[in-house]
Amino acid sequence: MKLLPSFTLHRPISLNEALKLLSKLEDSKPIAGGTDLLIDLKEGAYKAKHLVDLGLIRELGNIREANGLIHIGSTTTHAQLVASEIIKAKAPVLGEAASLVGGVQIRNRATVGGNLCNASPGADTATPLLVLDAQVTVASLEGSRSMPLSELFAGPKRNSLAPGELLTEISFSVPPACSGASFSKLGRRRGCTLSLINAAAYLETNGATCREARVAFGACAPTPVRIKDVEELLKGKKLDNQSIKEVSSACYGLVQPSTRVHARASEEYRREMSCVFMKRTLMEALDRARRNMQ
Amino acid sequence: MNVRFTLNGKDVESETRDNRPLLDLLRVDLGVTSVKKGCEYGECGACTVLLDEVPVTSCLVLAPQVEGKTVTTIDGLVDDPLMEKLRQAFLEDGAIQCGFCTPGMLLTAYALLKENPNPTELEVKKAIEGNICRCTGYVLIIKAILDAAERVLAE
Ligand SMILES: Cc1cc2nc3c(=O)[nH]c(=O)nc-3n(C[C@H](O)[C@H](O)[C@H](O)COP(=O)(O)OP(=O)(O)OC[C@H]3O[C@@H](n4cnc5c(N)ncnc54)[C@H](O)[C@@H]3O)c2cc1C
Ligand code: FES
Ligand code: FES
Repeated sequence: MKLLPSFTLHRPISLNEALKLLSKLEDSKPIAGGTDLLIDLKEGAYKAKHLVDLGLIRELGNIREANGLIHIGSTTTHAQLVASEIIKAKAPVLGEAASLVGGVQIRNRATVGGNLCNASPGADTATPLLVLDAQVTVASLEGSRSMPLSELFAGPKRNSLAPGELLTEISFSVPPACSGASFSKLGRRRGCTLSLINAAAYLETNGATCREARVAFGACAPTPVRIKDVEELLKGKKLDNQSIKEVSSACYGLVQPSTRVHARASEEYRREMSCVFMKRTLMEALDRARRNMQ
Repeated sequence: MNVRFTLNGKDVESETRDNRPLLDLLRVDLGVTSVKKGCEYGECGACTVLLDEVPVTSCLVLAPQVEGKTVTTIDGLVDDPLMEKLRQAFLEDGAIQCGFCTPGMLLTAYALLKENPNPTELEVKKAIEGNICRCTGYVLIIKAILDAAERVLAE
């Protein structure tokens, strides 16, 4: 049994109040669902004298659609993503990934912002959001800024936020009708494991030829990553079983799994699996793109 | 500091600390020992409670975070008709061996059937992914949940 170290919990009700607390208090950390943070504190992975709870800040917990963009507040839980009509209709791939995070108890607490900020190489919502080409909005007392999601990840379990900054929102364009996206994940036991590998793919097609392709892997590099080389191989190609198989086999040499970072499976195994998972996700994405066009 | 919340239908107030898990507040400070302490890492589901009606692992909730909220354990559902059906089915189907996982399993199953009164076997399996049972092999637990659902629907 490992005890939680002592800390003071602050529970602001507005974003501004939270930002003030984070900049004023030394040794402070935001806490959303706490499903990563409390475990890291128990393990002594880091120390925090002050925790600033984001759970009461209403403005951070919504999903909305406006002007062709979908906006997801950072404290939206995985359960909310799964239940959201907007996500089901416009970006089902994200709801699917969220539905595979932990068990129901975890999904009811854990947030998408926490999943991204925790920056685990295998974070399950990272890959679908990467292929949706998501932007993240970050706020501090100085104001707010936007950047591509990929720039939030700095290394295994390291994000690029400066002290006092908070992730407030994730946003992406509503995918067009000629597109399809899919996610798949390999884990040891459903309900309580991080992915050994996960993959997401997004395709736009005019029926036969690939117009736009975005693919991403989790747990195959120090951070979740887009694989631009595979995307280039896909663009302009006639999409079928054979071409997808060929392109997918290129993943073997393109991913950089490290056994040091991802001790749960060997490098060779992950390389093999990256080809299998890329093929599977691309086939499914293509199938969906075709169905969406009908 | 003090935390005030509704526990099994009653308003309670308890002195607590910021780093006290809800699990310890319930078991140690308030004597609700039906909530079991297993892994304390969110993985086993033995400590499941309903927080504002949805299942959460109480080992990963901090006591001050339940301020103003509703916490329900099996003790608060003794007379609840749906929970009664679930208990009966668990007993009759032999879905309980050592019983350590049972309170958490019952609460997760209860939340499932509240939301989805007629689940498929797959939906039941998916719902209890966060509850580990080391004894039964799950088969009889899944059967019991499906049987309970059937009995409620038959009424
Ligand atoms: C049993 C179990 C199973 C799990 N299964 C999975 C799984 O299948 N897939 C998966 O991807 N993950 C899984 N996880 C990991 C975890 O649940 C997720 O990463 C979750 O989304 C983290 O969100 P949280 O709100 O709990 O984050 P927290 O623990 O609250 O925070 C995580 C980190 O992010 C920071 N942070 C949080 N929100 C913000 C913000 N808005 N701005 C800046 N920093 C912020 C915190 O300071 C902390 O460093 C599992 C965890 C457990 C315990
Ligand atoms: S004790 Fe909370 S999940 Fe195991
Ligand atoms: S009956 Fe023993 S753990 Fe489930």
